Amino acid sequence: MDDRSLTTTDCDVVVVGAGPAGTCAAIVLARAGLDVVLLERGPFPGSKNMYGGVVYPRILDELIPSWWEEAPVQRWVTRRSTMVLTPDQALTVDFRSQRWGAPPYNGATAYRPDFDHWLAAHAEAAGAQLVCSTTVTGLLRDAGGRVVGVRTDRPDGDLRTRLVIACDGVNSFLAKEAGLYPPVDAANYTLGVKETLALPKDVIDERFGVRGREGVDIEILGGTGGVNGGGFVYTNLDTVAVGAVLKLPKLAAQRRRPEEIIAGLKSHPAIAPLVEGAEVKEYSAHLIPEAGLSMMPRLAGDGMLVAGDAAAMCLAAGIWLEGVNFAMASGMYAGRAAVEALRAGDLSTAGLAGYERRLSSTFVLRDHRKLRRAPSLVLSDRVQHVYPELITSVVERMFRVDNPAPKPGLRRIVRDETKRLGVRTRDLVRDGIDGLRSFG
Amino acid sequence: MTAVPSTAPAVVAVCLKWTPSPFDGGPLGPDEGDDRFAGVSPADRAALELALQLSDAIGASVTAIAAGPSAADRVLRDAVAAGATRAVRLDMAAGSDSRDVAFELAQVVADACVVLCGDYSLDRGSGAVPAFVAHHRRCAQALGLVSVDVTASASSVAGAPDGELTIHAVRRLDGGRREVLAVPTPCVLSVEGSVASLRRAPLRRALAARSAPVEVIATPPAHHHGAPAIVTPYRPRARTMPAPAGEDVLGRLRALTDAGTSGGRGETVELAPREAAARIVDTLRGWGYLD
Ligand SMILES: Cc1cc2nc3c(=O)[nH]c(=O)nc-3n(C[C@H](O)[C@H](O)[C@H](O)COP(=O)(O)OP(=O)(O)OC[C@H]3O[C@@H](n4cnc5c(N)ncnc54)[C@H](O)[C@@H]3O)c2cc1C
Repeated sequence: MDDRSLTTTDCDVVVVGAGPAGTCAAIVLARAGLDVVLLERGPFPGSKNMYGGVVYPRILDELIPSWWEEAPVQRWVTRRSTMVLTPDQALTVDFRSQRWGAPPYNGATAYRPDFDHWLAAHAEAAGAQLVCSTTVTGLLRDAGGRVVGVRTDRPDGDLRTRLVIACDGVNSFLAKEAGLYPPVDAANYTLGVKETLALPKDVIDERFGVRGREGVDIEILGGTGGVNGGGFVYTNLDTVAVGAVLKLPKLAAQRRRPEEIIAGLKSHPAIAPLVEGAEVKEYSAHLIPEAGLSMMPRLAGDGMLVAGDAAAMCLAAGIWLEGVNFAMASGMYAGRAAVEALRAGDLSTAGLAGYERRLSSTFVLRDHRKLRRAPSLVLSDRVQHVYPELITSVVERMFRVDNPAPKPGLRRIVRDETKRLGVRTRDLVRDGIDGLRSFG
Repeated sequence: MTAVPSTAPAVVAVCLKWTPSPFDGGPLGPDEGDDRFAGVSPADRAALELALQLSDAIGASVTAIAAGPSAADRVLRDAVAAGATRAVRLDMAAGSDSRDVAFELAQVVADACVVLCGDYSLDRGSGAVPAFVAHHRRCAQALGLVSVDVTASASSVAGAPDGELTIHAVRRLDGGRREVLAVPTPCVLSVEGSVASLRRAPLRRALAARSAPVEVIATPPAHHHGAPAIVTPYRPRARTMPAPAGEDVLGRLRALTDAGTSGGRGETVELAPREAAARIVDTLRGWGYLD
């Protein structure tokens, strides 16, 4: 379909949501000389946004070379730990790399109100028109159902455009309104909750074994009080973020309050000494589209593209919780596909196919495809409630000195413990294969 | 008293005090110079809304003025988005002396029939600027208003022999009392935040206002060096009180707080403004507040 019928538009593209996805789309479009309006419901970009705390910004190399010299980073993650918790045990795999503390870096902790605000300034500098405190309440469509604009909550608030890029985050009301989403299932979402705790910088440095701008990322399996999910601890300069990601149906079924679960995590013997004496500065919560590929909507419709969390692009696969980089990349590719389609004058679903093509040939959909089994595996009851106990009790027996009894062999310990916990070899093998397929 | 000029179009001016972030720094707090949390108070927003309503009712234009660095342009553009016709920034450092700010404001609002201000700023200054502006303009002032009747004010023009505009407003007095005012124009009014809530700017105006021109007026170096005359609202000094005696707890509390027992100080007098002002100053001096 060509778009000659669209003569009265207010701008070339409306991007909804100035999170990482929307802002990167706007940067690409504005730099291509297009007239782009970026609408954000919060008073400034990032004001409504929260996450755990680690961003992997290497994708920005393509948009903001030397981004590390100006990005509002708290700490560069040089130490990454994975912790398995039972109520009174903890097994930690701890990795440290000083290489991650120098350009081009790896992960960084950053506050979203700072990071998103900084990124949006680049979109404005490129010429995008950012309008804050403006909520998009619906889509405008022509008689054929094609998206031709948005309606906002401001007076005189309709904006007609050639293309809408929906980057409105996890609730993705616009893609749902456009009929791009499969039926919504609460099991596909987790609730992320976080406390930001203030501690003096030198105390954080000492407790976490870091110096200067070095930071720590701890991902936790277990410790969520029987609700399937996971936990995290991240260091900022003078705060520590402690949080949990909780499977919605389990949380509802157990009638647990999320803040109780954080309180439980903070009092765990492996976490308590890290956050002792800290003052709670902020409590925040947000949904995460957890199910990855299996919940993704159609990514393009006539006159519309969907990117970031709005398209369920967040990668939540146990040891990885990466959403911001997937959002930035999908926004950037949406922007590029939009430039191509606008130049070709074809904004139909077919004309916008360059978007999915780009996602498929880069990490965005390749990682999702590779890890498609990971979210359900990581959140399964066995991985959540049985394996942590199995692993920690095997390790406990390995290191326990039961003299005068001689040391048991590893095979015997594993046999004993799987039997004690009622783990069937069949399940263990199947989960192992699934794990290898995903993470291997 | 000045009539709304019939030749030149009438102007309503609104002074918006741009304040850098009012929050403390520290963890999660904004850094100095962080303009995300800078802005104007709800009282200033109410003043802008009233200015817009009044200008609609009397057919005037609205000039929005802020004093501050270029970061203050944002609040002026927001005012233009909401409906202000002209935006003027007095190029001054944030936190300049109230008397200097008022002097410069008075030059810009010289042609305004009504000057509206909020009665407090985000940084909770002394609220003295509107009074200083009125002083420089040698016009009437009514400060701390809790309501302004726009319709009655606008229709006063038709009823008045010279087509004079009179502002009908209500001012808060101590002890829950209210003062109903008819303020002749030109005048300076300051209003509480509850007086009106600022309208949402239409989307197209919000978009257009992003590039709206802001007239920048360079200001001479500060006239008032050294300690400003008033830096905070006046607070009576703490006094040492002997512990009240007696068995009755309520009685002791009353004795300690004067609650319900201090009626002796209030006095209602009817005097001309000049004598009334002199009487207030004398009384305050008598009570020891001006020592
Ligand atoms: C607890 C938690 C921990 C996480 N930890 C990490 C982590 O450590 N690392 C990581 O990379 N990712 C993490 N994520 C995921 C990451 O936050 C998201 O994947 C990412 O923010 C998605 O970016 P986005 O731009 O798609 O959406 P968002 O960041 O949600 O931005 C959407 C924007 O759209 C605006 N908006 C929404 N609706 C409207 C509307 N109708 N009109 C106008 N504007 C609108 C919003 O205000 C917002 O600014 C975490 C998420 C949670 C909840």
